[in-house]
Amino acid sequence: MALVTTSAVVLRTYPYSETSKIVRLATRDLGVQSAIAKGVLRPRSRFAAGLELLSEGMAQLYHRETRELQTLAAFDLLVLRRELAQDVGRFAGATAQAELMLKMAPEAPLPGAYDALTTGLDALRAAVPDAVDAVALRGLWLLLGALGFAPALGSCVRDGTPVPTLPGGGQVAFSTAEGGVLCARCAPPPPPTSNQATRLPAQAHRDLVALNDPDAPLPALAPPHAAAHRRLLARFVRHHFGEASTLPALDFWERHAWSPPLPPPSAIPAPAPAPAPAPSAAS
Amino acid sequence: MSAIEDLVTELSQLPGIGRKTAQRLTFYLLKQPVETARRLADAIRAVRDRVKACGVCGMLTDDDPCVICSDPRRDPSVVCVVEESADVGAIERAGRFRGRYHVLGGRLSPLEGVGPEALHLEHLLGRVGDGSGVREVIIATNPSMEGEVTATYLQQVLRPSGVRVTRIARGLPVGGDLEYADGVTIAQALLARRDMSEAD
Repeated sequence: MALVTTSAVVLRTYPYSETSKIVRLATRDLGVQSAIAKGVLRPRSRFAAGLELLSEGMAQLYHRETRELQTLAAFDLLVLRRELAQDVGRFAGATAQAELMLKMAPEAPLPGAYDALTTGLDALRAAVPDAVDAVALRGLWLLLGALGFAPALGSCVRDGTPVPTLPGGGQVAFSTAEGGVLCARCAPPPPPTSNQATRLPAQAHRDLVALNDPDAPLPALAPPHAAAHRRLLARFVRHHFGEASTLPALDFWERHAWSPPLPPPSAIPAPAPAPAPAPSAAS
Repeated sequence: MSAIEDLVTELSQLPGIGRKTAQRLTFYLLKQPVETARRLADAIRAVRDRVKACGVCGMLTDDDPCVICSDPRRDPSVVCVVEESADVGAIERAGRFRGRYHVLGGRLSPLEGVGPEALHLEHLLGRVGDGSGVREVIIATNPSMEGEVTATYLQQVLRPSGVRVTRIARGLPVGGDLEYADGVTIAQALLARRDMSEAD
């Protein structure tokens, strides 16, 4: 059994016996791992506050590939991310990202996904209140991309025809099942059904492209448009993960379970107002 | 299925008890006088039949309202909000709080599918807004991430009522040793420092 040292983020903890916990960790070098942290609930535990949800540290794991449950020897805290708990929206976005890692990441090295997760969590820590939704959306889309589910947004997912962002009005078809936009030839005739494609207004398509580009300015999303983007992302995840599976954190984030309800949303996202200067929290 | 197998299966459903432990407990009970097993069975039945949530504070209790809510010596203007009934016992053991309680029955935990609708919040808002003179709500959820985000949410929903909302302090435990405390706890203790004239 090898002692492996790797950076890790705590995705979930479960109590185990009176003094121990089982933790699910996203590790940079070993993918998602389960480990037992013995004695973590004792008053003078060497793990101390380190094993808080979404905290990041250097984990030392006694690791054996054939085992489902590893042993956590130490966890030296690097970042606690306490700021996420100061805003329910930030926390909801962060737990949705943690859930994607838990459910979709393999037990194998995937440094790109680890980096996307930590970048997304840190962006949420610093997000200003008006930008929390957009920052969470960008974090989730980029994490999906790192996990191998990046949507095709610049060319038709079916035949590769370029689908540029439209400067003015118009609509672009987006197929959740096929994983990207469809060109005019491949798009089904309106009205679309859930099995075919969503019609994105040109502004929503531009925003979606910006959300999937870490270097683009973060789009300013009014609450109804942010809600439409959340629904689109949640539908995309559920389709590719399996409709029958439960994703409670994604559901909590999608429906803003902590907020008063918005007016009834239209089926198609309406054009957003002209983009405001990008909040610095996006970087 | 045999009676032994039945009991092993039922016991192994309990948290922290695996099949081997369930077997050990089963055979231990079989070796005890029959009265021991009867008392255990009666206690389990009684706890399910008699214990219910207090209609005022939500604490699990034999009586409704519970002994704390029905005690006229307790200060009804200060309400301490905790996650679970067991937390009431922990604060009561400290012997310093003379107000009343409100038990949420959990904490916000999106990963476990626990949202605001699963917490006893309407009761709390009712107690604060019904003119019964609540002046202060002390939020005593656990200092974990979920406990903190629950405190944040409670602060938001209580803000319109105008009631004073406070949060229990975090810091070093009594009898602790700075050398062995983690950095986060020390940082919290420094942030929550106070003038020595206030100390009792």
